[in-house]
Amino acid sequence: MDGAYLAQQILNGLILGSMYALVAVGFSMIYGIINLINFAHGDIVMIGAFSTLALLVVLGLPLWVVAPGVVGVGALCGLVIERAAFRPMRGAPQVTGFIASLGVSIMIQNLGILTVTAQPRNFTFPDYMLAAVSVFGFEIQMVNVCIMLAAPLLVVGLLFVVHRTRLGTAMRATAENLDVARLMGVNINRTIAATFALGSALAGAAGLMWGGKFGQIDPLMGFLPGLKAFVAAVIGGVGSIPGAILGGYVLGLAEVLFVGLLPPVYSSYRDAFVFGLLILILLVLPNGILGKSTEERA
Amino acid sequence: MTAERKRLLFLALAGLGLTVLMQAVFDDYLRTMACFVGIFIILAVSLNFTNGFAGLFSLGHPAFMAIGGYVAALLTFNPEMKPLFLPDLPEWLMALHLPFLPALLAGGAAAALTALPVGAAVLRLRGHYLAVATMGFLIIVQVLITNMEPYTRGPLGLNGLDTLTDLWWVYGSVLVTVYACWKIKFSSYGRMLQSVRENELAAACLGVNLFHARLAALVIGAFFAGVAGGLWGHLVTALTPVSFSLVLAFSIVVMVVVGGTGSITGSIIGAVIFSCITEFFRPLEENYSVYGVGEILMALILILILVYRPQGIFGSREPDWLTPKTNRC
Amino acid sequence: MKRLLVLLTLAAMVLGVSAAASAAEPIKIGALYGLTGGMSSIDTPSLNGAKLKAKLINKSGGLLGGRQVEILGVDTKTDQKASAMGAKKVLSEGIVAGIGYSDPAFVLPAAPLFQKQGIPFVTSGATLPTLPKMIGDCMFMTPFGDDDQSYAIADYTVKKLGAKKVAVWTDNSMDFTKTLSRFYKERIKKLGGTIVLEDFFMMGDKDFSAQIARLKSSGAEAVFVSSIPNEAGLTVKQIREAGLKLPIVSGDGFDTELITTVPGPALANDVFFATHTYREDTRPEVLDFIKEYKAEYGHDPENAFAALGFDAVGLIADAITRAGSAEPAAIKKALRTTKDFKAVTGTITYSRASGVPVKGVSVISVKGGKYKVEEVWYPEAK
Repeated sequence: MDGAYLAQQILNGLILGSMYALVAVGFSMIYGIINLINFAHGDIVMIGAFSTLALLVVLGLPLWVVAPGVVGVGALCGLVIERAAFRPMRGAPQVTGFIASLGVSIMIQNLGILTVTAQPRNFTFPDYMLAAVSVFGFEIQMVNVCIMLAAPLLVVGLLFVVHRTRLGTAMRATAENLDVARLMGVNINRTIAATFALGSALAGAAGLMWGGKFGQIDPLMGFLPGLKAFVAAVIGGVGSIPGAILGGYVLGLAEVLFVGLLPPVYSSYRDAFVFGLLILILLVLPNGILGKSTEERA
Repeated sequence: MTAERKRLLFLALAGLGLTVLMQAVFDDYLRTMACFVGIFIILAVSLNFTNGFAGLFSLGHPAFMAIGGYVAALLTFNPEMKPLFLPDLPEWLMALHLPFLPALLAGGAAAALTALPVGAAVLRLRGHYLAVATMGFLIIVQVLITNMEPYTRGPLGLNGLDTLTDLWWVYGSVLVTVYACWKIKFSSYGRMLQSVRENELAAACLGVNLFHARLAALVIGAFFAGVAGGLWGHLVTALTPVSFSLVLAFSIVVMVVVGGTGSITGSIIGAVIFSCITEFFRPLEENYSVYGVGEILMALILILILVYRPQGIFGSREPDWLTPKTNRC
Repeated sequence: MKRLLVLLTLAAMVLGVSAAASAAEPIKIGALYGLTGGMSSIDTPSLNGAKLKAKLINKSGGLLGGRQVEILGVDTKTDQKASAMGAKKVLSEGIVAGIGYSDPAFVLPAAPLFQKQGIPFVTSGATLPTLPKMIGDCMFMTPFGDDDQSYAIADYTVKKLGAKKVAVWTDNSMDFTKTLSRFYKERIKKLGGTIVLEDFFMMGDKDFSAQIARLKSSGAEAVFVSSIPNEAGLTVKQIREAGLKLPIVSGDGFDTELITTVPGPALANDVFFATHTYREDTRPEVLDFIKEYKAEYGHDPENAFAALGFDAVGLIADAITRAGSAEPAAIKKALRTTKDFKAVTGTITYSRASGVPVKGVSVISVKGGKYKVEEVWYPEAK
C-alpha cells in the first residue's frame, strides 16, 4: 500500500463526500427548521439527474445553461412538496412527517417508473468534462474537479444566505423558536418554503453531479443517496449545517477507505462497516459530532 | 367477570369462528392472504409495543424477524435434506430437528437474545438518532446473513421449507400476542413503560429505571417479531436476506402510525388495512397494465390520513367498550 | 366487522373473476414478474416479450383450433411474499401453465406451489442450473444454466484470448453472480489457468476505485466481472478510465446497452460476454422478433430478457400443439420432450438429466462501442 494509492483513495473519498455533503446540507436545513426528516430528499436528487438528462441530451442545451436550470427544478420540486405534503402537517408529531415523507418518496419513485420506465439510462457529459486534467501530479477527470470545487462553493453560498441576509436571519430565527419568530413578524410560511427551496436546489445540483460522475441513472437511484445523506447529517449533528458538511465528508471517506484499505474479502461488508461506524460515533457523541447537546429541562 | 372482559372473550371467540369460516370457505390464495394479515397483525402489535408503549422509534423489526425466521427454519429443516442444502453446517445443527412450536419459540428467543446487546448499545439514543441506529442494525443483519453462507446459504437463502404455517397457527399466535400485549398495557408494568414515553424526567424522578424499561420493551417486541418471522418463513417457504428490508420496516411503522401509536386495536386495524390494500388494487393494475399505481394510491391514502387525522385512527387508546373502567382517561 | 367485510368483498371479487373466466375458452398462462422494484428493468421487458408472443399466436388463429392465449400478468414487486401470493392467485384462476422471473430468488417461493398442483412453470430468465432438481418435474428453464455460460466464457478467456492469469470480481449480494464466479473459476483452473486476484463488491455500489487499484497491481491478463446489468456499465467505464486495457469478460449480466452507452464508444473496448443467442444474430427468428417488438412497443427490445419472455410462451405453445391438449399434465409431458425448438434465443432441447436445456451460448465482443458475435459455444454433454 503506497502513498500514491492512499492519496488516490482519499481523493475519491473527498469527491464522494462532496456529493454526500451537498445532499446532507439540504437535508439538515429542512430538519433544522421544522424538525422534519424528509425521506423524499434523495428522490429530488433523482429528479435533478433526470432533469439534467432532459435538458442536456433531449433539448441539447449547453451545460452552463443546464446547471442553473437543474438547480431551479430542484428548488421548484422542494416548493411543491412542501406546499402539498408538509405544510398541512405542521405541528403534528415528528413521526407523522417522517412517514408522510416516505409516502412522498414512494409516490415519486413509482411515478418515475410509470413515466420513464425502470430501465437505467446512460448520462454523458460533454467531452471536456470527461477529459483528465493533471492536478498536483494526479490525473483527475474534469467532472470530479468540478464536483470538488462546486460543492464547497454552493455551500459557501448557502452559508452566506443563512448568515448575511434577512431571509437567512428569518430562517435561523424560525429554526430556533418558531412561535417567537412568528411573534417577531417573520412570515413563517414563506421562510419555510424558502428553506425547502434552497435545500432542494442543492439536492438537484447533487443529482447533476451524481449523474455526470457515474454516467448512469434510474428512477430508484435516489433511495441510497438519500439514506446516506440522512446518515451523514446524523453523524455530523442533525440540524447543523457545518455538521452536515462534516458528516458528508466523513461518510464519503469512510466508505471509500473501508473498501480500499481492507482486504478484498471484506469489501462486501462495506455497508455493515459504515453503519457500524455510525452507531459507534453515536454512542460516543450522542448528538453527532457537531450537534448541540439537548439537555432536558424540567 | 367484568363487562369489558366478557366483550374481549366474545371477540376472541368471534375470531375463532372467523378462522373456522375462512378455513372452510376460502381457497388457498385467500387463506394465505389471511395468514399474511395475521402475521402483519403480530408484527404491528409487537412494534407498537416497542414504539408505542415506550416511545422508541425502532426501525430494526425486520432484523428480528429475519433472525427468528432463519433460526426456526434451520431447526425444522428436514435432516435428510440438510447436507444437500447446507453442507457446511456444524454437526450438532445438522442433526437437530424440532417440531414447529419449539422451533418458533426458539426463533423468538434468539431474536429476543439479540435484542439485549443491541439494546444495550443503542438505547441511550433518542428520537431519530435511535431510528438511524436501528436502521443501521437492520442493514448490518442483512449484510451478515448475506455473507454467512455456511449457515444461511447467503443471497440464495433457504428454500423448500415445509408449509407448516396455516390459519390455526397464525390465529393462535395472534391471540397470544394480543393477549400478552393487552395484559401488559393495562398492568402496572405497562403503565410504567408508558410513563417513560410520556415524560422521561418525571418517570425517572418517580424511580423508574429508564434503561431497563426501554430494554424490556425492545426485547419483548423482538420476541414476537422473531415468532412472526418463523411463521413468515414457513408460509412463503423461502427466506432470503432481501425480504427483510427497510421497506418492510416502514410498512410496519406505517401500520402502527395510521392505527394510532400506542393503541393495540389501532395496530390491528392498521395491519389489516395495509396488508389488504395492495391486493385490492391488483385487478385495477392488471387490467390497465399500469403497475405501480397501487403503491402510489397507498402512499396517497397514507398522506391524506396523516394530514386529516395525524394521531392515527385510535390515538393511543383502545375503544372504550373494551377498556377496563379503571384505565380510562 | 370491518375486517370481515373487506375479506368478504375480496372473496366475492375473486369468485366473480374466476366465474367469468371459466365461461370463455381461452388458454390461460400466468406470468409472474417483478414489474416494480429492483428487478423491473429486467422483468418488464420479459412480460412485454411474453405478451407479444401471445398476441402473435392469437393473430394467426390461436392454438388447438382457435383457442386464444391469454396472459395473466401479475406484478410481484420484486418481493418474495408477493411472489408466493401472486403464484397462489394465478393458480386459483385456472391457468394451465405459468412463466416468470429472471432470478431464482423469486422462482423459489412461487414454483413449488405450481409443482404441488402439477402445473408446469417455465422460468424465462432464471439461470440457476439446480432449479429443476430443487423444485421438481414441473420446473422448466428457458435459458441455459449458469454453468454452461460460465464454461463458455472461461473457454473463450483461455483459448481465444490467451489469458492464463485471471482476476475475478464478484457481486457478493446476488446468488446469480456468485454462482457464475464459482463455475468460472472451476473451469479456468481445469484449463490450467490461475486466479491471481479475487475481489468483491455489492449490487448498488457505484465506486470501484479500490478494486481497480488492486487490479492494477495484480498482473492479471483478463478480469472476469460477475455483475448484473446495473453495475456492468459502471465497471467497464471505471476500469477503462483508469487506463487499464486488459480484456473484461462476463456472463449474461453484461447483456445490456449500458456497457456501450455508459462508458461511451471510445472506452467500450475489449469487452467479451457470454449470453443468450440473440443480440446481433441474423437468424430469421431473431429478425422477426425485433421487427414485431418494435412495431408493438415503439422501440427495440431493451435486452435479451424480452426475447426470453417471448420464448417462454413459445415453448408452452409448442408443447400444447404437440400434445394436442391444454391439460397441464399433457403440457408437462410434451415440454419434457421438447427437441430442437427454434427459439429466438437459440435452439432448445431438454435432454439432460439435470433438466437444464441444451442451448447454444453466444460469446459477444464489444469493440469501439459495437457488438459482434464472436462464436457460439455448445455444451459437450448432449
